[in-house]
Amino acid sequence: MKIFKKKNYGQIYTAPLMFWITVFFVIPILIIFVFSFLKKSYTGGVLPQFSLDAYGALANPQFVKVVLKTLFISIVASIFTVLLAIPTSYYIARSKYKDILLFLIIIPFWTNFLIRIYAWIAILGNNGFVNNFLINIGLIEEHVQLLYNQWAVIIVIVYAYLPFAILPLYSTIEKFDFSLLEAARDLGATKFQSIMKVMIPNIKPGITTAVLFTFIPAFGNYAIPEIVGGKDSVMVGNIIANQLRVVRNWPLSASISVVLTVLTTIGVLLFVQLNKSKTDEIRKIKEDV
Amino acid sequence: MKKLFVFIGVILALFAISGCKTAKKEKLYIYNWTYYIPDEVIKDFQEKYGVEVVYDVFASNEEMYAKLKAGGTGYDITFPSVDYVSIMIKEGMLAKLDKSKLPNIANIDPEVFSKANYDPNYEYSVPYMMGAAGITVNKKYVKDYKKDVSVFLKPELKGRITLLDDMREVLGLALKYQGYSVNTVNEEELKKAKELVIKWKDNIQKFDAEAFGKGFAAGEFWCVHGYQENVFSELDDSQKQDADFFIPEQGAAMYIDSMVILKDAKNKELAHKFINFIHEPEVYAKFVDFFAFPSINVPARSIRKVTPRYDLPDLKNCEIKLDLGENIELYNKVWQEIRVGN
Repeated sequence: MKIFKKKNYGQIYTAPLMFWITVFFVIPILIIFVFSFLKKSYTGGVLPQFSLDAYGALANPQFVKVVLKTLFISIVASIFTVLLAIPTSYYIARSKYKDILLFLIIIPFWTNFLIRIYAWIAILGNNGFVNNFLINIGLIEEHVQLLYNQWAVIIVIVYAYLPFAILPLYSTIEKFDFSLLEAARDLGATKFQSIMKVMIPNIKPGITTAVLFTFIPAFGNYAIPEIVGGKDSVMVGNIIANQLRVVRNWPLSASISVVLTVLTTIGVLLFVQLNKSKTDEIRKIKEDV
Repeated sequence: MKKLFVFIGVILALFAISGCKTAKKEKLYIYNWTYYIPDEVIKDFQEKYGVEVVYDVFASNEEMYAKLKAGGTGYDITFPSVDYVSIMIKEGMLAKLDKSKLPNIANIDPEVFSKANYDPNYEYSVPYMMGAAGITVNKKYVKDYKKDVSVFLKPELKGRITLLDDMREVLGLALKYQGYSVNTVNEEELKKAKELVIKWKDNIQKFDAEAFGKGFAAGEFWCVHGYQENVFSELDDSQKQDADFFIPEQGAAMYIDSMVILKDAKNKELAHKFINFIHEPEVYAKFVDFFAFPSINVPARSIRKVTPRYDLPDLKNCEIKLDLGENIELYNKVWQEIRVGN
């Protein structure tokens, strides 16, 4: 009886959240899913007739090219983000000023996302801060084109999602038992070895979360390539927006979104599974020892 | 404590009074493009008729149409462009106008009506503004150029040019330059336009519909394709001296934005008054002066104070972008080939 009661309470407690998720997450995704199988109306919107046209249209070389480019940009950006985030969160976790440093990481969120992207134009532009600085110290004579290419997109993605990688990494590193590093050194590992072989495997869950938190928003990004990207850095998000707003092909933008959602979900599940089995192995080895 | 009660009482009373006041006023609900009417004009209208205007904005025809179609009711007037006027007529979303209440239509240049027949006899729409995107060049960096699309190929401008991220506008320029219609559905002509745009693409920095004005002001871009109001609103007076805006001689795609009354409008009477008010010469002059737009209102031309950055004669070779229906896919295919490559 008691257990039954408890269960009921749980449902009541989670009811507002379930309601929120259903109304603002599940239903919209279902709408996108349904729209992707309908016929398009040329004025925008859909006609209530079943059609697979939207999926047929995906089989074109340009679309595949854009998906590959988007993958490339998001993978490179995620790698850089995590590489930068690990030492940063390590430093914060070991610092005396943890609270202040974490606070500093959060401060940029007080400024609007778009404004922060525009700020990069002032930094990387031809008359921007970096170019002027390099010209003033005499390192270069003419400005270097830094903006409006896919590397600018990658830099700004790294900047934008770095905090999302630092926070989960920090929380796992903070729990890490640093005496293990000393033990490793005692047993003859170099400083580098002890970090690579002892610390990194132990903070793997944090790394996984950090990669996902960067990769997923990067993959679906629209604003960053729009503002700092060049004539060739079209990403999937831009194609979806173009189909929706200019060509008025709602089913096609819906089908692209569905395919992306399915691909990302499969990718994420595989990635998490892979990491889980590895961490499990480590745990097992530890237990054996 | 007593004081507090009195204070709250007074505040409530004030609310009640002000509530009564606004409730008495008639309301007109306008759904318009962002930055498309000076605040002063709205204020004048409110004062003249003792009414209240509730103003809401959209950023594209598609957005406006999707919202109204999805059941967004409550608006009296909206401002669709050419193709959407015809779509909205077909869909039965518009109310027929009572022209006896719109004597100021007579002020509109007859040439405007002759440019297109998206609304034959103009039974549903009154033109608000006619214009086109053009090219703005920074004369500090380019001295010698022809006023047409050949500037896009100038080697000294390499990496300093932006084109609108809008397929109808960019392909429209290329089509017009080669003597074709901006509404062509001939694949051969579109292919030739594509080849020209690909040549431009080699020389430009990016396709941009958001930030080209800011980039031009910052000196990042020296030649931008787009609407002049988006560029000049970013410039200070000395920068304006150096900026030269022109519509290519061979023409470009152009648009007419119209005022229409929605079928389910609650206040059609007041909506007619508003449309008529806009075409009062003094009011229209204020509007076009604010944006340095060309004036389609003939008497307003003689009383306006600001010279427009381009005028109707500059648009003589321009052509209205019509609704292409299913054929928009042809343009999209060519555009994807330009943007992404084959």
